[in-house]
This record gives sequence, C-alpha cells and structure tokens, in this order.
Amino acid sequence: MSATTAPIPSNDGGRASWLPRLISAFSGTTGLAVKLALLSAGNGLAVWAIVTLLAKHQWIAVAVLVAATALIDLLYFGGARTVPAKFLIPGVVLLLGFQVVPIVYTVAVSFTNYSTGHVIGKQDAIKQIEITTLQPPENGKAYTMAVAHDASGRLVLLLQDQLSGKTFVGTQKGLTPAAPGLIHASGGVIESAKGYTILHGLALFDLDKTLQTYVVPVGKAGIRPQSTTTAVELQPTLRYDAKRGVFVRLADGAVFRDNRKGSFVHGQEELEPGWKTGVGFANFSSIIHDPLVRSPFISVFIWTFGFAGGTVLLSFALGLFLAITLNKKGMRFQRTYRSILIIPWAVPGFLSLLVWGGLLNDKFGVVNRIFHISIPWLFDANWAKVSCILVSAWLTTPYFFVVSLGALQAIPEELTEAARVDGGGPFQIFRRVTLPLLLVTTAPLLIASFAFNFNNFGNIYFLTNGGPFTGNSSIAGATDILISYTYKLAIAGGKGQNYGLASAITIIIFFIIAGISAISFSRTKVLEEVV
Amino acid sequence: MKSRTRLIALLVVVVAGMFAAFAGSVHAAKSAGATLTIWTDQNRKDAVTTVANAWAAKNPGVTVNVVAIQNFTDQRDKLGTVDVSAAPDIITAAHDWTGQLAANGLVEPIYLSAAVKKQFPAYTLNAFSYGTAIKKLYGVPTQIENIGLVVNTKLVKVPTTFAQLESEALAYKKAHHAAVGIAVQQGSGGDAYHMYPFFSGLGGYVFGVNSAGNLDPSNIGVASKTLLAHASLVDKWNKEGLINSAVDGSTAQSLFLKKQAAFWITGPWNSQLLEQSGLKFKVIQVPKIIDNAVPFLGVQGFMVTKWAGVHGVDALAQDFVANYATTPSAQVSLALADGRYPANTTAGKQVTDPVLAEFGKAGVGGVPMPNIPQMNSVWGGLGAAWVKATKGSGATKAATAFKSAAHAIAEAIG
Amino acid sequence: MSTVEIVAAQSAPIALEAPAPRRPRLVDTWWRHVVGVFACLVALFPIWFVASAAFNRDNSISGTSYLPTHFTLHNFGNLLHNTSKDSSGTTIDAPFLRWILNSIGIAIVTAIATVIISALAAYAFSRFRFRGRRFGMLALLLVQMFPQLLLVVAIYLIVLNVGRILPVVQLNSLFTVMLVYLGGAMGVNTWLMKGFLDSIPKELDESARVDGASAGQIFWGVVLPLALPVLAVIALWSFIATFNEFVIASAILNTTSHFTLPLGMYGFISNQYGQRWGVFAAGSLLAAVPAALLFMFLQRFIVSGLSQGAVKG
Repeated sequence: MSATTAPIPSNDGGRASWLPRLISAFSGTTGLAVKLALLSAGNGLAVWAIVTLLAKHQWIAVAVLVAATALIDLLYFGGARTVPAKFLIPGVVLLLGFQVVPIVYTVAVSFTNYSTGHVIGKQDAIKQIEITTLQPPENGKAYTMAVAHDASGRLVLLLQDQLSGKTFVGTQKGLTPAAPGLIHASGGVIESAKGYTILHGLALFDLDKTLQTYVVPVGKAGIRPQSTTTAVELQPTLRYDAKRGVFVRLADGAVFRDNRKGSFVHGQEELEPGWKTGVGFANFSSIIHDPLVRSPFISVFIWTFGFAGGTVLLSFALGLFLAITLNKKGMRFQRTYRSILIIPWAVPGFLSLLVWGGLLNDKFGVVNRIFHISIPWLFDANWAKVSCILVSAWLTTPYFFVVSLGALQAIPEELTEAARVDGGGPFQIFRRVTLPLLLVTTAPLLIASFAFNFNNFGNIYFLTNGGPFTGNSSIAGATDILISYTYKLAIAGGKGQNYGLASAITIIIFFIIAGISAISFSRTKVLEEVV
Repeated sequence: MKSRTRLIALLVVVVAGMFAAFAGSVHAAKSAGATLTIWTDQNRKDAVTTVANAWAAKNPGVTVNVVAIQNFTDQRDKLGTVDVSAAPDIITAAHDWTGQLAANGLVEPIYLSAAVKKQFPAYTLNAFSYGTAIKKLYGVPTQIENIGLVVNTKLVKVPTTFAQLESEALAYKKAHHAAVGIAVQQGSGGDAYHMYPFFSGLGGYVFGVNSAGNLDPSNIGVASKTLLAHASLVDKWNKEGLINSAVDGSTAQSLFLKKQAAFWITGPWNSQLLEQSGLKFKVIQVPKIIDNAVPFLGVQGFMVTKWAGVHGVDALAQDFVANYATTPSAQVSLALADGRYPANTTAGKQVTDPVLAEFGKAGVGGVPMPNIPQMNSVWGGLGAAWVKATKGSGATKAATAFKSAAHAIAEAIG
Repeated sequence: MSTVEIVAAQSAPIALEAPAPRRPRLVDTWWRHVVGVFACLVALFPIWFVASAAFNRDNSISGTSYLPTHFTLHNFGNLLHNTSKDSSGTTIDAPFLRWILNSIGIAIVTAIATVIISALAAYAFSRFRFRGRRFGMLALLLVQMFPQLLLVVAIYLIVLNVGRILPVVQLNSLFTVMLVYLGGAMGVNTWLMKGFLDSIPKELDESARVDGASAGQIFWGVVLPLALPVLAVIALWSFIATFNEFVIASAILNTTSHFTLPLGMYGFISNQYGQRWGVFAAGSLLAAVPAALLFMFLQRFIVSGLSQGAVKG
C-alpha cells in the first residue's frame, strides 16, 4: 500500500499552530531537562522505598527494587540499542502496577474460598469463635464494675451485682464478697473503696488489652469485663485444643475439626466465623457442576455476545454516518452540531441510564406517550433486550463519531478525488476507498469496544438490573450479561458474597472474550496489516 | 560527552540522596491517649459527632474520631477489607447486616443489662441478634423505620377496612382517569420491601421460625398455604387497576403529589417532602386484608467491630454503645437527626413530630427484615413475582408467580 | 535548516496560498442539516428531562413530565452553597465546587499524561522493530479485556501496600487516583495512535536522523506535531473517561473534600431511600459543561481543516 500521509495541522490564521510548536519545543534542551528531572525523581523515590524496606527487613523486596531501578537506569542511559524500551517503560510500569496486578490478584482469589463467613484469617477466626460462644450460665449475673489497684498494686475488679446490689472483690484467683461498707456505690456507679485506688482516664484505658483477657473464675464460669463500667458472668461452651487444632464442645464432647475448606465442622454443624484459605480448583469445578450456575450460562452468553456486537455495530454505523454527513466542507453550524452530539458522552453514564429507564416506562414514560404506542420497553424480555442495545448505542455513538471524524482526516483528499475522476459514485467511493482505509485504523477500536461492552456491567445494571425475570433461571434475568450475572450470583447472591466464585467466573469470561478477540484479529487480518 | 555523563550521574545521585534523607525523617506519629474511631454516613455525621463528643466529655482522655463514609452500605462492604490502621471501632449499621457481619467474624457481642433491655421493644433487640448455635446480640438499636399508607385526607376519607380502601381508591381512580388506585413503587426490578404489607396481609411470610426461635431458611413462606388460597385477590386488584408494577419510585411520588392518586405507600424519608407539599395527609397502616397487613421493620443502630479489641479501646467502645447510646437522650438526638423514630420506648415518648409518630404507629406488629445472609436471595425473586402478577394486561396469575418465586428462592439458597 | 524547523515552519499559516472554502449550496446540504438536527434531538432528549428535574422542586427523575411542576433554582443554589437537603430534611456537606475542581484537575493532568504515554508507546510500536512487538500490542488489548469485578478490592490493597513503603502513593490522595488511571493509559489509545502514526511517512524520520536528530528529538519535534488530530481525540476521550470515572475513585478517596465530582454526586442518590434527585440532576448538568467546553476547544485539532497534501522528503 502506498504511503498515505497525515495532513499538516490547520493553517487557519495561525491560531492552531501554537500547539505543534509547543510540542516540538520538547525536542530540545527543555525535553532533556524534563527527562533528567523525571529520572532523578524516579531514582529518588526508589531509594526512599529501599530505605523504608530495609528498615522493615524486607530483603526480597529490596533486591527486586534495586534490580528494577538499575535496569531502568541502564536502559535510559544505554544509547541507541535500548531506544524502544525508553519509549515504553513509563506506560509499562503503570500498566503492570495498576492493571496487571489486579488481574493477578483476581486469579489468586479464585483459588481461595474468600466469601461470606470466610473473610478473616484462621487465628482471628479461632479467637472470634471463642468470644462468640461464651454464654451466660443459668442465673448468670451482670455486674457494675470498677477497675482498681489494691494496696499492693495488683489489678482487681470491684463488682456490684446489678440485681441484688451485693458487692464483691474479684481477682484472677476468684471472687470474694466484699466486707459491708468497703465498697461505696451509688446510682449504679462504684465510687470509692477503702484500701483500693479506682482507676480512671488514661490509666484505665491503657489496660484495655489486659482487661480483654482478665477473667474472675466463678465455678465453671467467669466474670469478664465488658465495658469500662460493667462486667458479665460468662461460660465457655467450646474449648480450643491447640495441640490437636480442634474445638471441643464441653456439653457433649463433640469435636469440630478443620475441614480444610475454611471452617470447623462436626457433621453438619459448622462453627462461624470461618476463615479464608486456599481451595484449589473448587470454584472452577463448581461452575461446571453446579446446576444453579451452569444452566443459564449458555443463554446469557449468547445474549452478551449479541448485546456487545449489536451495540458496537450500531454505534459505529451511526457514528460514521454522522461524521460523514456533518463533515461537508464549509457547511454551517458544523461546530454546533458536533458539540451537541458529544453531550451524551459527557454526562455521567449512570444518570443517563436511570433517566432512560424512566423514559421507557411503558405506562408512564414519555417515549410511549409521545408516539402513542405502548411497547413494553423494559417489561418484556425481548423488548428489554432491544432497549438495552438502543440505549447503549445512544451512549457509545458519540465516541465513534469523534473517532470517525479524526480518522476521516487521515484519508487524503487526493484518493477520493481520484476515485471521483475515475467515475465512481458517492456510495462506491465510500465502499471501495473510504471504508477500507477507515477500518484499518478503527478495527482494533471496534474489537476493543466489543470487549468493553461484553463486560459492560453499568449499562445493564442501571437500565434494567438484568431484568425482567423470566423464570427460566432463579438468578439471571432476561437482559443479564455474563458479568452482571456473575455479580448477582456471587456478590448479591444466596448465602452472602462469594468472591472466590466470582473471580473464577471472571477468569472464564476473560478466556471467552480473549478467544473471540483472537479469532476476530485473525479474521480481519488486523495484526498482519497493521503490525 | 564524558563530562556530561558525569554531570548527569551526579545530578541523579544528589536527588536520590535528598529523597533518602526524606525517608529517614518520616516518622509515624503516635497519638497519646485513646482514640475511638466511629464510622457513620453523611446524614448521621453531625448527630453522631454531637452524641460522641458528649460521651467523650464524660471520659476525659478519650478522643473521638467520627468518619463519614459516603454510602451507608459501604460500611458493611468495606469492613472486610479495611486495613487495621484505618479500621473503625464502631459503625452505624442496619440490622439486616447482622448475619453477614457476624458470620464473617467482624463484630463483637454486646451484653446489655436487664434494666436497659427493658427499654427496648423485643423485636429491635432480636433484629440485631444472630447465631446459628447460640444467639448473641451484636448491635444496639437507635432508630426504627417502616413504610406506611399515606392518605390524602382532603380527597378521600381515611379507610378503616381494606374493602373501604379498595373502593375509595378505585372510585378516585375512575373519577380522575388515573392510572392506578394506590401509588406503590415497583418498577421493572420489583420492590418486595414496598409490597410487603400486601404480602403479609395475604398471609405470606419470608422465613419461618424454628423451635429455638431462630429464622429457618428452609421454611420459606413465599408460597404459603394462606397466600396461595387468597392469591386470586391479587389478580382482582390487578384487573381493576388498584396497583400496577409499572409504577416506580419517582412515578409513585409524582402521582401522589400531583393528586392523581389519593394513596401512597412510602416511608419517613419522604416526611419533609410531604410536609412541604401543602397536602393534608395522614399516615396509617394498611388495613387488614386476611391477616394484618404489617410492613417490614428496619432497625438501625451501632455495632462494635473486632478492631476495637485490636486497637485497645474495646471497653470504651462497649461503654459508648451499650451504656451511653442506649440512654433516651442520646436515642432521641440520634434518631431525630435522621428523621426517624427512636428505638428506645422512653425516648419514643419524647417525639413530638406528628408525622413521625404516625409512621411509628403504622409499624406496630411489623416484621423485622430477616438478618440472615440467605435473605439476599429473596428480594429479587419476591419482587419479580409481584411485578409479574400486577403487570396490568398480560399479567401472570398470582398463584403461579408466587409458586415459581418460592421454588427459585429455595434453589438459590440451596 | 533541520527537519524539525522545516516542519515547524510548515505548520505556520500558509492560508494565503490556499483558496478560501466555498460555501456549498443549500440544495446540497439541506439533508445533512435534517440529519444533524434529528441527531441532536435524539442526543438531547434525556438531557432535557435531566434539566427538567434539575429545575424542579419535586426531587424526582420520573421522565414523565416535560416541564418542572414547581420551577425552582433551589437545587443549583444548594450546590453552590456546598450543602444539600434531602426529602426528610437532613442536610449534608456537599462541597460541589471543590469536587468540580478536583475532577477537572486530575482529568486535565491525566489526559495530558495519557496522551504522552500512549504516544510514546505507539511511536515505539510504529517505528521500531523489536522482539515481542506483536505480542506487546496484543497484550495491551487483552489486559484491558479482563473484567475488573474485584478491581476495587485489588486497587485498595495495592495502594495500601505500596503506600506503606512509598508514602507518595496514599489512600485518600488525588495524586494516587491519577496514577491508577494512568495504568490504563496504554491500551486501545496506543492502537489508535499507532494506526495514525503509521500514516506519517517514515521518510520524515529518516531525513531528521540524517540531520543528526536523536530518537527523542524526532519524536517530539517531527512526528508528534503532525499527529494532532489523534492526540486531540485521545485527550478528549481520556478527559471524559477520567472526569466521569467513579469506581476507582470510590476505592481510594474517603474524605468529602477530596472527592471527585461523580463520587460526590453519587452520595446524593446512594442511600436507598431519601435520594436527592433534584440536586443530582442539577449537578449532572453542570458536570457536562467542562467536557463540552474541552470538546469545543479541541474540535479544531480533531478536524484539522484543509489538508495541504503530503510532505515528502
């Protein structure tokens, strides 16, 4: 193909030529200065991080960071051999940090059981189970409490039974009734006690961690401080056997074992909370085996494909049509038309979607009322699908409009002139000359837009929330796409959230869309031509 | 060239050295004294700050740090991933989060004294209780809310029976060529919460209660016998246009405000809107259909997180939540700042706003929304059943709709 | 004269040499105007209702009435007073102007940085042949196809952990939000720009190199100034995407005064009940203004007027 050329920037009175001049200013000393400044700053930040990491003894991280910084410096001072790297490094570093790492994280989560009930670590879970399985014993008492030091400085609890008013002194050895008159309490507050110094303020607050584990044994139960002024008699119902790593129920000796899936279980009974742990391919196999997940998958997939494809094709066609139509040289109001046409793009998407939802209401919405029709835009399964595509196209057309405008500029006039001289009509010129050249630039954009709409959670969620429910599936509605279906299944789902399952489905969706893209790439020969 | 390279290298080293010096000088500040971090949302921030500061004044040495999370439900969602340095010790919570947060091990049990417990209606404490084996209280209620039937008293008479409600609504609808008789919101996504009075009035329930008094997710009453027996009433309402699922939130509001409907089912969040509208209205409970048509009850309050213990402020957090926030004065200021009715009955007696009081009365006998994680599966299915059954022309028969919803929900819960 | 100066000189006005464009006759263009007007109506249709809600006291976006039932400027007033009252009477902090400034700030910086980063990458892919080139381009696209369902959690954890060793990256910092946005700078933009750069003849590079220019000088001085249309498209796209972005901002920012505009406005309607639609609609109208203004400014670069033919040699 002969070299096509880019036009020289506008020459309308020199107003627009300041920008190219500004850009080319960077090719001189200014650019060099900026480059050095950025490089120094980058190295400085790396050194800062290395110092902090050294202080935290993170040797591996230090080694990695030193190697990376050295590598980058070498590449930038490496001369001609490493020129491509110099251009690519800034973008790649950011890409790795903020796009690739989340992907890695998602993959990691898909191999865990991260879900409701399995959110914290194992040690935390054990501690929480111990706390939450305490129970007030029969006739368990509640006390008003004051924390004090006795004459020898030991920590004691001064207690008053809230029901009977009797006073006690409690230590970690046991409870002893207080001599009458020893403890002076009024209005439910222990004010003073002879021979004891009651702690207040910071002295008391600093003891919080000690008080969390302080127990005054009373028979099988114990009195535990709850707030700064109350204590409650509680009895453990489970005991943790650290050697065997199991919980034993005191009442009947039932043993709750680690089921390797993040919970302590005994038969059908499960202790809550569980903890987050790796479960291998369990999430992936549940996708294949669980009918709840599996059955609507095919129909949802087909609709997702149709939705993405329909949106892209319609938006591109409309955007291109508008770009060509409104691109006539010298036509009046061009700027006005263009400015108005990008407004759908400029307004926050979810607001437009919510407003469209109201407009398309079949009984009260304006659309049905203006045209005196009664199409159930959002209530009927098929019409809802049409509505999704139409509204999505409304949102996406401005993007393709602007892209087409820019891309049309890259097609030099001589080519179209030559074709016209050769006797081609406008449609022929378009099909044989303009469109192929346009597709060269925009094909990857179309594929990318397809992928974006394939995963376009927002457009579906805010317009129809995946509805209407058809009853074919208990979770997927008529307009649910794979990603919103995943969301409903795993985030807003049955027993709470299941991020592990959601991640696994996400990975499968990715393979699907990557596969489709790879096929499109090879069919449109985009890679061959462009690369 | 060589000298230039040396110059560059020098420059780089100097700048790097400066940054190294920075690194050395950055210290983490340690605050003296105990700090209690409370999360709440934008609406409640001022009220919570006032109450918390009043409590802190009684506990010298404590600093209270109230953080406004933008979205109320974000508190629940962020609690699982928040870093310990930024984690809250106390959060304001909706009662239906209890099951999820407790199952995740993110909140601490709270023990109230008998005297304090007496000041709260049993269902409010129940709403914050959860436990598969042992039921524990995980939160302290501060305010309650429920929807009610708002009647435009200038246009119609306040109905005392459902039959009267039906005939008045239909008569008004006919006279004004309106779209519906009662403005209650559903929309294409459905709204089981707003339709609940009709649901409970027909004898439906969500989860039954087992012998231990706990919610039983295997006992789903979405297609209960009583409901199915009287499902034909729904078909009748649909046919005569009493309710229609095309009405969404905004539409219901505008129908009532523009006097195209004389009845609106909504909650206290619209109380000021109603007061400023200039319309004369009264809020009542939907009259009994087969059973009492009670609404869902929402209870909100405070919960103590597990980080309170990690931060070393556990006792303080418990003191604020269990001892101070339960007092009538705190309850009143917290609830009224949010435009809701306080949970504490003594505090409730101090409420003078007539609209709030009416909403409160409309909630008598109401059912707290189930706080177990399985509830998530119910909203969509139940809402969809109503949408299908009240679609207008082409609606599914109610009995069929509810039966398939019950089946779908049972499947989703597993 | 070096190639750079030649190009710069040729960017200067040469209007005197080209004929002024003739206005086409109305007969040729009437149908274009019809299409244009119709398209504008469709584009503005929902916006009209947003405006109707913005000027309405009733606090709803029902999409059911053309004109506000109770006309008021109250919503705009609320926004400018940095507070907002909802239908139950509670008032919240809403520093609207601050949010707009925050959003405009990071959107502008992100747009410029995105243009530069993707231009750098596109230049490398267009001009150089190196190992991993094809794979690199494919990878750029594939990475962006990964559904970011757990993005919020992942970004939060990344920022948290990096912030522990590098305090420049912090939670609740607009700078950090910007960095995260730049993670997506290389992507489809690079493809678009590469396609455009491919159409700039390599002879220009050659002659500049013969004159002794380095790769950087060729890039900034010769090639980039000629790529203005695509630079403008990418700048516009990046500005709008950043300005309206909400998910990442919500993961990182948590103090009201640091919010970006969509994040702040989301707070108006995020509660399940008691939503402030009136203020939200008013804010949205105002939110569309910066993007529209930017487009009007960038228009002339996108549609670069007359093309004067190839510059060869």
